[in-house]
Formats: sequence, C-alpha cells, structure tokens
Amino acid sequence: MAPEALLSPLHRADGSATYTHNRYSILGAVNGPIEVQRRDEMPEEATIEVNVRPAVGVGSPKERHLETLLHSTLRSIILVRSIPRTLVQITLQIRSLPEEDAMLGVNTSLLILPHLLHTALLALLFSSVPLRAIVTSVLVAIPFTKGAGPLLAPSAKELMRAKPFKSIHVFAFSGDRKMLLNESDGVFGFEEWDEACEMAEEVCCKEEGGVGLGEGMEVDGQSATENLEQWLREVVKSKVEREQRWRVAT
Amino acid sequence: MSLPISIVLPGDKIPPDSLPKPQNKKKALTLGPGLRHIPPETIAASIAGALVTDNKKNAAWIEYNSGRYLPSTGDLIIATVHTSGGENFNCSITPNTPLAALPHLSFEGATRKTRPVLPPNSLVYTRILSASSAVAPELTCVDPSTGKSEGLGPLKGGMVFPISLGMARRLLAGRKGGVSVLEGLSEKMGFEVVVGRNGMLWVEAGSVKRTLAVGRAVQEVDEGGLGEKGQKKVVERVLKGI
Repeated sequence: MAPEALLSPLHRADGSATYTHNRYSILGAVNGPIEVQRRDEMPEEATIEVNVRPAVGVGSPKERHLETLLHSTLRSIILVRSIPRTLVQITLQIRSLPEEDAMLGVNTSLLILPHLLHTALLALLFSSVPLRAIVTSVLVAIPFTKGAGPLLAPSAKELMRAKPFKSIHVFAFSGDRKMLLNESDGVFGFEEWDEACEMAEEVCCKEEGGVGLGEGMEVDGQSATENLEQWLREVVKSKVEREQRWRVAT
Repeated sequence: MSLPISIVLPGDKIPPDSLPKPQNKKKALTLGPGLRHIPPETIAASIAGALVTDNKKNAAWIEYNSGRYLPSTGDLIIATVHTSGGENFNCSITPNTPLAALPHLSFEGATRKTRPVLPPNSLVYTRILSASSAVAPELTCVDPSTGKSEGLGPLKGGMVFPISLGMARRLLAGRKGGVSVLEGLSEKMGFEVVVGRNGMLWVEAGSVKRTLAVGRAVQEVDEGGLGEKGQKKVVERVLKGI
C-alpha cells in the first residue's frame, strides 16, 4: 500500500506535510531559510536543525540518534551552499505508532526511520527549499525462519507474524540511485545485505530508461504503489494541480 | 491550460527538447527560479513544481506557490519598519529573516535636514535594490536615475492582508494573471491597493468595513483558486454587502 500524504496542514509554517503509512503517522514542518543564531552560523553553508518529537513524553537519546541520522542524510540533499548563513528548521512530530511497535523485539528506531525521512522530504518539497535531489527510503527485514524471504516495507502486523528476525536494514537512495543512508541491525552476511540492498533499490528508484518528463503521469495504479519515486511524483502532481487550479477554473 | 503540465522533482534533469526553442538563435538561455545549471550542459530542477518555458524570451523557470519569499533584485515589496538607525531604517521583509536596510535619504525629496520620520511597525512600499545570498538586502524608495518616487514610499492608513506568493505574482502580472476581482469591485467603489511580492496586500478604501471587504475578497479568490465566474460571484456578493 502506498503511503498517504496530506499537503500543507499547517498554515503558519513555510512548508508542512502529514504522512501516514502502515499506521505510522507523522506531522512534519519546515521553516526556512530563516535567521540563524550566531553560534550555529556557518559562513558558506546553511545550518540544518532537525527536531524529532515522540508521540508520548519528551525526547530521549533515541530521538537524538534519529535526529543525527536525519540531519546527515538531509544535509546531503539540501543545496546548503545556495543559502549560506541561514537556518532550515525541520520539526517532525510523531502522531501515532502501531501498537505492535514496542513488542517486536527489534530496534524500534529503525522501524520509524524511513517514515521520518519521507515526512521530512515532503515538508521540504512544500517549503520550496532548494534541493539537490529527492530521497526515498525503505525498511528490509530478514526473518530467522528458513525459506522465508526478506520482507520489504512490512507493516507492524506482518513483522509480528514473521518475528524473530535475523537482521533489519534501512536503506535510503537519492533520485539518481546513490545510496545516502544504510543502517543495519542484527547478524547478517554480505550476500544477505547485498540482496536486501538490491530489493530496496528497486522499490526506491524508478527503473533505468523508464518514463521521462511529462509522460510519467499516466502510470497505472499498480506500478504507482510499487515504486516510491512514482508515488512522490503523484504527490507533487496533486500539489501543482492545486496551485494551478485558477488556470482551469471558470 | 491546454498544454500538459510537465511536473519536475528536485534533481530531475531537464531534457534538451523540453527547453524553449527560440526563433532568434543568438539569444542566451535564461534560467529562472528553481533551475540550476551544472556545467558543462546539464540543467536540473531544484524545486518541485511545473516547468514553464517562454520561447520568445528563451527563458525557462519552475512555477511553484509555496514556501518563503526569497528577496531578488528589482522586486516591489511591502516592508515593515523595525527600528531606525543612524543612516538607515531596518526593515523586515519576511518574519525571522535578517533585516534589510532602507537609507533615510532614499525617499523622494529627502535631504540631510528633512528626513522622513517612520515609527516602528510602519509600512513602506519599496523596491529591492540589491539582493544576494552574500549580503543583507538593500531597499530604496526612489528610482536611482530620476530621483522620483514613482509611487513608492510610506503607506499611511489602510490594512495589510497576507496572500500567497503566487497570488501576488498574479496580481502584478496584469491580464495574464487572470485576476478580475479588483477591477470588478472598482466599478462601484473607490479604493487603493498595493501589492508586495513578499505576499502582502495593502488596501485602503476609506472605511474599515470597505477595506476589509476588498482585502477579504482577494484572499477568498486566492484560497479558492477561483476563475472568472467565481470572481464575478465574489464581486456581486461583496458589493451587495456594502
């Protein structure tokens, strides 16, 4: 199932998005480029601030860890040198998690990482901050059970059925098929990792020689759900259509 | 729009056949907001939106209507005076960004002896003299070649209404923007409007009620993305209420 995205729910933020997928729901907001505090200012680059707020309670080291991962990934896709001495502030509020989240016996920060990354990207797209590329991300889980293949972007229910896991991996790819992030947890060999990586790349990036500019809009529903980049295109298409409504309105 | 909109995501390379085809081959290609040139000859998008090209001007840009206003040279904006320094007024263009400098002497008829007095929070209609990522923007209220104000200067009375950046562009684009609500209203009532590219609309119509009616009508057209017919309906309803 493709993730759901709601555009610009917050009217005060420069860009915002609500993202729901597999019962993970996150609200993201971006403000920027704005004035940066003197001590955080960098002479030739923009400063990026990522805040992750948990669904319940105050932030803990887990959120700080996620913030660091997001910070380094987003930094490589934002054109930081075109907006020097400014601040891009990204706030991600986790709204709800599936109940099974805590009972899976795996590193829960990895489960939510792809969702946080997508929310941040959507909010960045709607804030019109200059970006170098897009980023798509996916979770791959390899169960202990013999014969069971790796699970790709599984829901919490599917994970519950297939546990325990040998290893779980999160991959993030930029639009030009470059790997931006890889976080792995568990015991695994290189072949397993390679297989997981290939699977993730297939889901994240559209195939070589695929649809080009303008013609990519007529994709059938099936392939649109399978490919994250196409899903992103659909979301942006609805944004552009909303903005250009006045051209076609009577 | 009859043409299919080509939608681009950041990082998308623009194929050469999507770029404008100029009649005059000598004219250099102009890249507008949202496009960047990666030497030697790749042109990539940096903002998500619709790719628009103009064959006559040999220009291409990305049309989008979200995010924060970024100052660019020559834009007409409504600035808010923050403080007054020794030589400059410090003006804010958008909230939480570094203040822009508006020299005391850059008003029509201003001399060292007769400087304009603008208290904090007063509004000024100004032009951006220079803007770049390297320095804070500089503002002016006079045309540097003639020394005349050409309509720029402090805005007295009236109210400011926030509008989207796309709406501000449409209002300034004239007939191409497709906004007829102000013309419709002006047939029955008199008012003054000033459009700032930074997403601000200043309206003065004599009384608070009329000012609010005009400002809200424009905001409604903006939020609803209304076409000709929808705007006519708004005009009729507003005029009935006055």
